Amino acid sequence: MHENPVMRPIAELSADLRLGKLASIDLLENAFDRIASLDSKLQSFVCLAEDARTQAAAADREIAEGRWRGPLHGVPVAVKDNYLTADMPSRAGTDAPGVHFARQDSAVVAKLREAGAVIVGKTRMHEFAWGNVTPPSKNPWDLNRVPGGSSGGSGAVVAARIVPVAMGSDTGGSIRIPAALCGTVGLKPTFGRVSRAGIVPHSWSLDHAGPLSYTVADSAYVLNAITGHDPNDPGSARTEVPDFTEALGQPITDLRVGICRNHIFGNNQSDVEAAIEGAIRFYRDAGARLVEFELPILAFGLGAIFAIELSSSTAYHSRNLASGAVIGFTNDVRTLIEMGRFVSGPDYLKAEQLRRVLIDDLARVFADVDVIIGPTCPLTAWPIGEWTVRVGAQDESVLAASWRLTYPWNLAGLPAISLPCGFDGTGLPIGLQLAGRPFDEMTLIRAADAYERAHEWKDMYPQL
Amino acid sequence: MDELEMLVEALGVELDKERRAAVLAAFQPIAQEIAKLRSLDLTDVHPAVVFSPLPGNQQS
Repeated sequence: MHENPVMRPIAELSADLRLGKLASIDLLENAFDRIASLDSKLQSFVCLAEDARTQAAAADREIAEGRWRGPLHGVPVAVKDNYLTADMPSRAGTDAPGVHFARQDSAVVAKLREAGAVIVGKTRMHEFAWGNVTPPSKNPWDLNRVPGGSSGGSGAVVAARIVPVAMGSDTGGSIRIPAALCGTVGLKPTFGRVSRAGIVPHSWSLDHAGPLSYTVADSAYVLNAITGHDPNDPGSARTEVPDFTEALGQPITDLRVGICRNHIFGNNQSDVEAAIEGAIRFYRDAGARLVEFELPILAFGLGAIFAIELSSSTAYHSRNLASGAVIGFTNDVRTLIEMGRFVSGPDYLKAEQLRRVLIDDLARVFADVDVIIGPTCPLTAWPIGEWTVRVGAQDESVLAASWRLTYPWNLAGLPAISLPCGFDGTGLPIGLQLAGRPFDEMTLIRAADAYERAHEWKDMYPQL
Repeated sequence: MDELEMLVEALGVELDKERRAAVLAAFQPIAQEIAKLRSLDLTDVHPAVVFSPLPGNQQS
């Protein structure tokens, strides 16, 4: 018996749970033990489910009776605090008085429960998903550094091997940035692939839901469970839903890997850029074809995402602006919500026009490539309290630097995954990002899984 | 009074003097990025968000 079974990936846990070699209740107690010993350092859970043991016992009973629901049955899963839950309060990262959310399960939580997952608790997030620091959560690789955000708690609890999966949400990089900084896998599916119903909105046309996990396979198992059309999400797509696990262990000799030399390369920390060049060599040596290209429109992307995100967030929070509830928000989030009123209607629509150009330009690129490769983040985890970081030859704000390589995939709504690809000179994890065609998560998972299988990064975790 | 401050006045945004200065200062670098966006000629491009007359639960 593994000393800490919860540190094993879903495929192994699931096999043992199904055969009765492992009980969900023991797995849960292992997760709770790790929370008790580690979370005082990480501060990454905001709430634990009082009924978690009841959920686990029910899973054990059903499995014993031959009613196995699938790979997530009996597996402990955490969810970000902006996913509404019937059995736990939701705060979306805010302590502000006068802000309340319904006690009901979001669509994803309902699907996870249907798949038999044990919902352990809620993870800390940057307030209203408007930031990439997630105070006071810490990075498990260095407790003096940020875990990233806004799904920082989810990144920390997966990196610390407390639960194999924690759900996140991603508006400009909020799944992939903490995944990169904490050394986990983070998958943002295509816009419309996974319902956002019951997730506190940040920016309606940019928000995505997805998992952070130990391995690419773990994210594929979760995606199988949570995907599908939902009439309660106006952005939800009616598309074919494949079995994403069929992309695992497949060859990549026919893969065409795109390298966008402008915007994505040339302005990253040197260790980050070196690790990504190493990943590119891996794909080349594995038989994939490398295709270099440029995408000049990316030079205008930052203004576009700011215009959409600011105006959307301010529209969502108009009630909180009118009631004065924003006074209770943290200063950085309050400032962003107040400044959204300065974005004009034409600016917003111009941003949506730019988005169309970007999507069409990318469609032309994807005629010749299957995935686009690059770093997830230009830098590794920065010290808590630092607001300016050195990237390349210049100082930049952490917000501007950290999401530069992730937000284009929110503007375009394309699927993107971050997976560990090494460490910098100080031992902090580096994230490799792959992006794919709309609704082609299969190719993305195939490419990511091939890289992961050929390296040992997934077996490395922080010593806390 | 610069262009942004005039905009705040025109929009009737209610913020006390100190708060307004802080929010405007934070908005300056973002305004520069949005200004770049304004410089693009996208006259013939339809926005990515498309209106639909269907009820919300039938849109997709």
